[in-house]
Formats: sequence, structure tokens, C-alpha cells
Amino acid sequence: MALPAVLVLGGCGTSSDDLVRRTAEEFTSAVAAGDSDRACDLLTEKAREDVECSSLDVPGGAVRSVEAWGDAAQVRTSDDVLFLRDVTSGWRVSGAGCRPQGERPYKCEVGGP
Amino acid sequence: MKRFLRDNGLGLAFGLLFLASLVGQAFSGNADLNNRLLADGGDPIGFWQYVTSSEFAVDVAENWQSEYLQFFLFIFATVWLMQKGSTESKTAERLGAESDRDQLLGAHLKEQSPPWAKAGGWRTKLYSNSLGLVMLGLFLGSWLTQSIAGRSQHNNDQLNSFQDPVSWWDYVLSADFWNRSLQNWQSEFLAIGSMVVFSVYLRQRGSSQSKPVGAPHDSTDESG
Repeated sequence: MALPAVLVLGGCGTSSDDLVRRTAEEFTSAVAAGDSDRACDLLTEKAREDVECSSLDVPGGAVRSVEAWGDAAQVRTSDDVLFLRDVTSGWRVSGAGCRPQGERPYKCEVGGP
Repeated sequence: MKRFLRDNGLGLAFGLLFLASLVGQAFSGNADLNNRLLADGGDPIGFWQYVTSSEFAVDVAENWQSEYLQFFLFIFATVWLMQKGSTESKTAERLGAESDRDQLLGAHLKEQSPPWAKAGGWRTKLYSNSLGLVMLGLFLGSWLTQSIAGRSQHNNDQLNSFQDPVSWWDYVLSADFWNRSLQNWQSEFLAIGSMVVFSVYLRQRGSSQSKPVGAPHDSTDESG
């Protein structure tokens, strides 16, 4: 189970959303361009542990919505659901290629809770 | 100054205890969260970041709402319900809203009676219920704060465990919200029920919350 991280009240503030959106767009653009190295750079350390960067294969797509709460966020694209974490180096993708599993956590091709 | 301290000792003592406890809670809560963050491989956070976080807000608000709910219910319940022999209870003859004579209203007003008690009409009606209504307002405000800060905290947990965030309505129907609320309510109701019943049989010499030590168990509405 993830730890209860710190949340500033009104944790879905605009500036946070913008930063999340920027990372997500950069990630999906890198995926679309086949730039696996750049996409991999945008993953959290934990997500990178489980993936072969040279063969990173996730749907990508255009960013549709962003929801950030504290140090965690979810981004829905036209083809995918991404999860992001705010780490020391900024917002990074902690899960990509994620599919819902009913009430259970999303199952992701890259990364995980 | 000395006289002021004596005349306001209870309010001042509990005000200071409140502030000291709140500051203690902030420091210990920050340390506890940082321990958990470090164990999870994260970075510790600063004191001010913690006290402006929803984690701190929900922990504070969930306790406040239950305290004010307790007082609101007790204030209104003691108008109509009694406990024979308890210092917290009226006698059977005084149950209900009582007469103007008992309440020093209408023809029984005193020169020093509060202005809204003298005013008559809606102002006197409102003032007659002001203690309970303010407690109700503080309860509802704290409970609303708990729901907003709790949702923020809950949604962060949800996202960190790769689950969808929830709306405010979904949150106030969630197990997390009701677990936080009910675990506080049960302790408040236990404490107040214990006080009501214990004050029938037990004594604390000199306390306004106790009957005189020698008072019989069945004497109601008496304090020492």
C-alpha cells in the first residue's frame, strides 16, 4: 500500500496540473516519436527498474485530462491512462499502459504501485 | 492581572493546553510522516509543509468535529433527558425548555440580563438556543473541513496505489470518511455517558463537576 503523502489543501491546483500535463505530453510525444530513451528518462526510478528501455512499448496518445492530488497524479490520454509521482527531479511517470481492474488497482505495462 | 488570571483560569488553562497539544501534534505528526516517507524511499518534508497539508488538516478536523458534536448533542439532550443522581442532569420537574421565571425571561428579566434576552421576538428565541446552535455550527464546519481534507488525502492514497480518485460525494459515502467519523464519535459518547453515570456514585471534592462528597447518590442537579 502506498504511503499517505503530503498534500497541500486544494492539492489539485493549476500549477501542479500544468507541470503534470507537461511531463505527460513530453512522455507521450517521446513514445510517439519512438524515442525510448527520452521516454525512459521520464519514468520514476521504480518504474524504470522493471522495463527494458530499448523496447518500451506503451500506447501514448493525446492528453485528455489531468487530476493531481498532492504528490500523485493520473493522466488520461486518448489511448492510455498514466500515473505520475512528484519526485525530487520533478513529475515522473510511475505507470504507463494502465488498464482498470474493477475496484482493484490498475494493471500497467510499465511500472506499478 | 492576578485577579484576571484567577477569574479566567479555566479558559486560559485549557486554551494553553489546547495550543501546546496542537503544536505537539504538529511536530509528532510531521516526524511520524517523515519516518514513513523515508521507509518508502521518499524525502522527508518540512514542518510548515506538513501543517498546511491535508494529512494534518484531516487529523485535526476529525477530532474537532466529534468534540463539537458531543457538546451539541449533550446541550440539547439535557433539555429533555435526565439521569437521576447525576450532576450533569436536571431534576424531573425541570425537564423541557422551562418557564420564563426559571429562565429569567419576560417579566423576570434582570437589569444585567444580556441585551438579546431583553430584546424579545426572534432575537430572544435565537439567543435562547445560541449555545447549542454555535456548537452545531462548529460541528458542521469541522465535519465539512474533514470531508474536504479527507478527500484530498484519500485521493492521494488512491493515486499512489494506482486507483481512480473519487468525487466529494463519493468520499462522504466512503468507508474512509465514516470510519474516521465513527471512531471519534464512539469515544466521545462513551466519555460523556461515563461522566453522566459516574457522577451519580463517585465524588471529586471541590470540583464543580461533582456533588459534595457527602451528598446522597439519588440527589440530582447538585454540584460541590
